[in-house]
Amino acid sequence: MINIEIDGKQVVTEPGSSVLDAAWKAGIHIPHFCYHKKLSIAASCRMCLVEVVKAPKPLPACATPVTEGMKVLTHSEMAIKAQKGVMEFLLINHPLDCPICDQGGECMLQDIAVGYGGSDSRYQEEKRIVMHKDVGELISTMEMSRCIQCTRCVRFGQEIAGMMELGMANRGEKAEIMSFVNSSVDSELSGNMIDLCPVGALTSKPFRYTARSWELSRYKSVSPHDGMGSNLSIHVKNNKVMRVTPSRNEAVNECWLSDKERFSYQGLNSPERLTKPMLKQDGKWLEVEWPVALEYVANGLRDITQNGGAAQLGALATPHSTLEELYLLQKLMKGIGSENVDFRLRQADFSADGKRAGAPWLGMQIDDINNLDRLLIVGSFLRKDHPLLAHRVRQAVKKGAQLNILHSVDDDLLCPVANKQVVKPDELLDQLLQILQALKVASGTTSAHSEISGAATSIAQSLAGGQRVAILLGNFAQQHPLAAQIAVVAENIASLSKASFGYLGEAANSVGGYIAKAIPGNNGLNASQMLVAPRKAYLLLNVEPELDLQDPQQAIAAVSSAAMVVALSAYKHQAQAYADVQLPISAFTETSGSFINTEGRVQSFKGSVKPLGDARPAWKVLRLLGNLMNVPGFTYDSSEAVRDELLSGTPLAERLNNHLDLPLPTQAVKAAATGLQRVAEVPIYTADALVRRSTALQKTSDAATPVVSMHGSELVKLGVASGNTVNVVQNGVAVPLKIVADDKLPAGVARVPAGHPATALLGAMFGNITVERS
Amino acid sequence: MEKIKNFFKTFLLYELVKGMAVTGRYFFARKITVQYPDEKTPQSPRFRGLHAQRRYASGEERCIGCKLCEAVCPALAIKIEVAEREDGTRRTTQYDIDLVKCIFCGFCEESCPVDAIVETRVFEYVGEKKGDLYYTKAMLLANGDKHEAQIAKDRAEDAKFR
Repeated sequence: MINIEIDGKQVVTEPGSSVLDAAWKAGIHIPHFCYHKKLSIAASCRMCLVEVVKAPKPLPACATPVTEGMKVLTHSEMAIKAQKGVMEFLLINHPLDCPICDQGGECMLQDIAVGYGGSDSRYQEEKRIVMHKDVGELISTMEMSRCIQCTRCVRFGQEIAGMMELGMANRGEKAEIMSFVNSSVDSELSGNMIDLCPVGALTSKPFRYTARSWELSRYKSVSPHDGMGSNLSIHVKNNKVMRVTPSRNEAVNECWLSDKERFSYQGLNSPERLTKPMLKQDGKWLEVEWPVALEYVANGLRDITQNGGAAQLGALATPHSTLEELYLLQKLMKGIGSENVDFRLRQADFSADGKRAGAPWLGMQIDDINNLDRLLIVGSFLRKDHPLLAHRVRQAVKKGAQLNILHSVDDDLLCPVANKQVVKPDELLDQLLQILQALKVASGTTSAHSEISGAATSIAQSLAGGQRVAILLGNFAQQHPLAAQIAVVAENIASLSKASFGYLGEAANSVGGYIAKAIPGNNGLNASQMLVAPRKAYLLLNVEPELDLQDPQQAIAAVSSAAMVVALSAYKHQAQAYADVQLPISAFTETSGSFINTEGRVQSFKGSVKPLGDARPAWKVLRLLGNLMNVPGFTYDSSEAVRDELLSGTPLAERLNNHLDLPLPTQAVKAAATGLQRVAEVPIYTADALVRRSTALQKTSDAATPVVSMHGSELVKLGVASGNTVNVVQNGVAVPLKIVADDKLPAGVARVPAGHPATALLGAMFGNITVERS
Repeated sequence: MEKIKNFFKTFLLYELVKGMAVTGRYFFARKITVQYPDEKTPQSPRFRGLHAQRRYASGEERCIGCKLCEAVCPALAIKIEVAEREDGTRRTTQYDIDLVKCIFCGFCEESCPVDAIVETRVFEYVGEKKGDLYYTKAMLLANGDKHEAQIAKDRAEDAKFR
């Protein structure tokens, strides 16, 4: 430890830390712009100049390492003179447009100028003008003259987002922040640059000119999107969510947010919101009052229970629902007598049900990912499915971790990958078995008797050589038709390589759904069975069957043939075609609730705004339905009461367990390999109901209409060229899509995204698919 | 002694004479009553009367919707909504002053970075119905257009003190 003195205060600090850090520790504020705790040191703004006794000139506090016995003066005459001088230079070219600047009121330059700026300017010459650039739909760069060249955005791109999309071109007075020629900023973390920009050069495009910072009330909340459970700060004006910014939580999202979480709020005020309960009478939709609608639903459910048995009821809920909603839904269904309830909508393989030792989870803490030294990620579209987890993986790799990938596509993860094996979906299990075999051979428990690929051997070597190892299954592996066997093999690999084994939670409540027991009970039907054998009535909790389910064809057929479909939804959607009742429920900002994120962290939040129109929190609606159906135990008067009931008893940590009580498969059963196999990801901006309605996100390149991509040789076989339109056929339904050659894909694979309106008519996310010339 | 003093004061009507002396003094003094509405008192260029929104010489409205006046208003009399106009500039879509709430402190005028909202010399305005004194953006701009010459003159006169 090093002892230094700052402004007469004795500070003890670690060797290698900067004067700025030490001052921060001692509670002394040194003004700065370019310094950021999570970014590298640039020392380009010079605002943090301080006097160091015996140094001839002022030194930048952010880039000066502490030395024993150092004496620093942050407010001496020399320091103040230097800081004021720097401030005058920064203000020379900065426009005086604070009154129209969106950053006004929360601007670092504005704040520091109050303390260090002059009351007028001595500058008489012409001010510098920087032309605006178009960098996409999320970041507004209309006023680049405001830029003070701190390069935080550039460093963020290089160090955190993993792709340098903004850079500083030219020198001196001509220096400008710009993207590469004609390219937009497409990183899925790009919105953080808005927060990082200390001035108003990079501002939020959707938020532009809609509110001033002092008008907004801020409420804490939790992201309803991916399994991370990022902490949000919801900014509200006049009972309307105006924007979303991150709320700092070092254990979860640090100070970042993915664009999905930041800009999805636009969907909250979408014109597609359902604001009145609606009933279908003689093919026409009528707006009704809540009591009428609820009575209708209760009568309908009672009818079907009496005539066909309670087993004729099925309930499906999205894993983006809150813990309380999922719990009450399953309690209602089980109270009526039906065990058919499920939230694992995109899962195909349910053979692990009943064999699980607990709820599947990450198997470790999220912030431990940064410290891993060996990683195997199986079947994950990591960057798009888990943008912030991908950032943590990148940080681990940067520190020297070896990242091993086993997947059916080869997407750029923006970091070096030690070993990767890209195979067809039906070979995934076989490859895992080879890795297991290679590990066994290496440990000497068996001699090689089957063929082991080179990649499998090097992955096994990599895993065996680590101290802190993790094996993680992504969405693709969890949705795979052989998911249970994949998990068993992965668990065995983990135990052989002393690794932690876990699942990357697909949605905000992928763990919570299990804890809330929103899974089929004894002899109950799971999400897939419920659709294979259509039920007479369905209760859909924020589910859009054509987009949210593993097999949209089956789903639409099942709900269309049902006698009664009750859609509890925040949005008007395709339900108008097949539902009988639509009940408007609140979006996540309008209700209290909890999410359990993928590491098993329970995060509760309160409503930030009042429900839109006549919409009501789903837990209240389900509670009332419980009362109307005379189900005992529906006497909650707050969502906290529901949460406390379901979390009481066994501590949560003991309910999380990834162990599967299934035999280890010895040989992967290969399907007869004929034709193309489908590889389906869920595009990042159509993954849930809320982001689908965010107008800004829908204009980004990640939300472009899906294309079918295949290996170049497959295109030659078909006789088509990249860019042509082809017919993609699954179960007799043809959908026209553009075809694109992607030589990184294995041959025999067609990558056709699911969960998008353009592909909603196709069948299951896995299996055979045909591509024909149109 | 005091008793004798009071006795003579009572019988010589001292208080009455003293009171009438005041009356007599004012009876012959110069009259200061202003015969409003035939006569009017002089006004300072800083007079804070009815609000107006100004325009530039080009006809472009000055207000850029920074909302500083809304923030500074102690009576919460100002309501502003802002949006981006087609040409990309920041403009108000709603600018209302509730003159019933307004206390005419002049803070709005003082905070305005572009001299858009001003208080004019006009103080003779009425509202016959409830809501008549709720001034919208169009009414304020009309005020500005009507009194621009006077407003500009007053600002110029006061400029050296600002």
